[in-house]
Amino acid sequence: MTTTHPEWDSTSLKDLTEEEFAHRYSTDRFTASVLGSRMRYVVQHMCTGLLANAFSMILRDWYDFAATISGPPEQNYPMSAVSNSLTLFLGTMDDGLRNTVEEYGPENLRKGDVLICNDPYRAGNHVNDVLFIRPIFAGDRLVSFVTLRAHQLDMGGVVPAGFSGTKRNVYENGLVLGPMLLYSDDQPVASTFNLIFDNARFCALLLPDIKTIYQNLVLGENLVNGSIDRYGVDAYLGATRYSCDVSAEAMRDGLRSLPDGVYEAEEGIDCDGIDDDIEYRLKVKITKVGSKAEVDFSGTSPEARTSINASVLDTKTAVGVAMKFLIDPETPFNSGSYRDIDIILPAGTFISATPPDGAVFIYWESSDPVVLAIFRALESALGERAVGGDYGSLSIHNANGVAADGTPWVTTAQCGGEHGPWGATKDADADNYSVIYSANNLDPATEAIESDFPVVILRKGYVPDTCGAGTNRGGAGVMKDSLWLTDTEHWSSPLHTKRGSGVGVYGGSTGRAGGVWVFDPQHFNVTKKKDLLPTTSEIYAGSTPVAGVLDPEKKTLDPENGVYYYFAATQTWRTKPNAVFRYITNGGGGWGDPVDRDPERVKRDVRDEYITIDGAYRDYGVVVVGDPAHDPEGLRVDMDATTARRTEMARQNGR
Amino acid sequence: MSEKETKVPEGPSVQREAVTENELRALGVDLARDFPGSTADDFKSYPVLSEGGWFKVVKHQKTLQTVSREPWALLGPVSLTSEGLELD
Repeated sequence: MTTTHPEWDSTSLKDLTEEEFAHRYSTDRFTASVLGSRMRYVVQHMCTGLLANAFSMILRDWYDFAATISGPPEQNYPMSAVSNSLTLFLGTMDDGLRNTVEEYGPENLRKGDVLICNDPYRAGNHVNDVLFIRPIFAGDRLVSFVTLRAHQLDMGGVVPAGFSGTKRNVYENGLVLGPMLLYSDDQPVASTFNLIFDNARFCALLLPDIKTIYQNLVLGENLVNGSIDRYGVDAYLGATRYSCDVSAEAMRDGLRSLPDGVYEAEEGIDCDGIDDDIEYRLKVKITKVGSKAEVDFSGTSPEARTSINASVLDTKTAVGVAMKFLIDPETPFNSGSYRDIDIILPAGTFISATPPDGAVFIYWESSDPVVLAIFRALESALGERAVGGDYGSLSIHNANGVAADGTPWVTTAQCGGEHGPWGATKDADADNYSVIYSANNLDPATEAIESDFPVVILRKGYVPDTCGAGTNRGGAGVMKDSLWLTDTEHWSSPLHTKRGSGVGVYGGSTGRAGGVWVFDPQHFNVTKKKDLLPTTSEIYAGSTPVAGVLDPEKKTLDPENGVYYYFAATQTWRTKPNAVFRYITNGGGGWGDPVDRDPERVKRDVRDEYITIDGAYRDYGVVVVGDPAHDPEGLRVDMDATTARRTEMARQNGR
Repeated sequence: MSEKETKVPEGPSVQREAVTENELRALGVDLARDFPGSTADDFKSYPVLSEGGWFKVVKHQKTLQTVSREPWALLGPVSLTSEGLELD
């Protein structure tokens, strides 16, 4: 009988004798630790090199890339180190490397090669996220790989820059590159460059970025070679295994900390880019026994008709992110994190799409719900360790146009709802302005956006009473207004507005769902009025809703009784100069019963305009007296009235 | 929310295949010794995605103990459009 793991897996790494350790890893414990840390330094150094030299805003301002190190084919390509950057890439680069190299043939690789692949079905993510692979040789022996996956500003297809949930198949989606050499013997392969540059837009930005990526692969190769020269191949390969074993053991310990059981939950997204007749529902069933878990997605809705789908590798990444977040947040993420987790995933769902009709582009809209579903499923198992849900959708906004001199321009993920709140934990209130749990990026600087494009970022602020209430409060929904100065085409992809995504846990409340609107200058002309677009409810009646559950007359958010407005009702939103787009993200989930929140903390939230006086009364049972707008430091809590209100709430809730 | 009726179609499922006692024996499993009280019905075979890619596993369902774990197709259940292309 074979078991999942060798028998020595049951022995803690810390309990190994020095002899056992050396036998297993071909080096001593100290050297293995040094080499593991060195690998993490190498990938971070590669990323710093790219960040500092990138021209494209999606790399320079968003940090839309990641680097990894993996072991050789005979070890089955273990990914031992990942960079502290775009999490969405980290789980896919592991399998993406294996799939790319195995198809190309590891025996065909030579020193000085750079192998690439961007096929979502082979390597995960979307076609703009090209995986660049550099094999590393010790003599004639293939011993390791360094990789960079970096978003290319354009890869062809029907939408400039690609970001859209409305593309209907791989043919509309963009250029698909199976495994092929980009560099051979450290020389560019002209046919590969021509293939890309004959199909992609904005090549003046792509070319220097690709050269920078190549140079940082060489940097990574040189640094790894330095380690091998100093410590030897056997120690290096032993440290590769050791790094993965450390992460596997940590995840195993995390799984043991959960009670055995079967945990189920559902999540989903509003619709696809054809119409709003179909809602896509994700089903997850987690079976946990001892230190092992199965995560089964059987029954999840079929793949969508447009490019909102995720690939199997995106789903694998999301599972890893969720489990790291909840039960193993301290140790580095790598291949070993999955050792005791088996994912059961049928092909042809909207989180395991297949070509040619299951187009994959804005895959995080479908894979972040995987994270949220696992958060929901494990809430009862985690008890007070449960974590609230985040804002659940990047609501990504792209815009394009042509400058007066005829130069085309495109914005990428800068002016929508890309950043927003997280959920609360047992330790504290949530962050209000981050990126979805499965991402990890920078927030592009307003000055850089306004310098590069005919747009003004008017507002980034928090919306009162959108946070999920709790003993610890969820993060607040973010309002972002952008003023477009010229004729512009927009692609807006808010896919999680029907229901709040920021699920409340441990007695906390779910954050409020958000929405998106366009304001025509005939309704309110920011430039002529020389004033910001108001935030009062009256302003919405003259807007054009893009997405959200809204009052059909007032066009204001009305999650309980409103009507759903469908984001792709207009596939391309065309605006005249001085139009304003407004995004409000979903709110983050609260942790713990709101009536247990210290009234002074509630008062502080009213002062800081995270919640209103009415919200304090309604959601927290705290009676705050005063004027937060004009005398914020003069606010006070009426303790007698608060006690009465909380007693009334407890009676209503049967406490 | 007052919303029009939207469809939520049921998606595909991974079928867990039955395993016979002979197949378990071929895998080196002695039911009486290794899984006292269990029968072949307690084992299933199905593909999983984990560390190292896709595998076809045979597992004892009550304990999730794996008795066989063999590499499966590189891309698992996903078929490329170019799959099966013969150039010769």
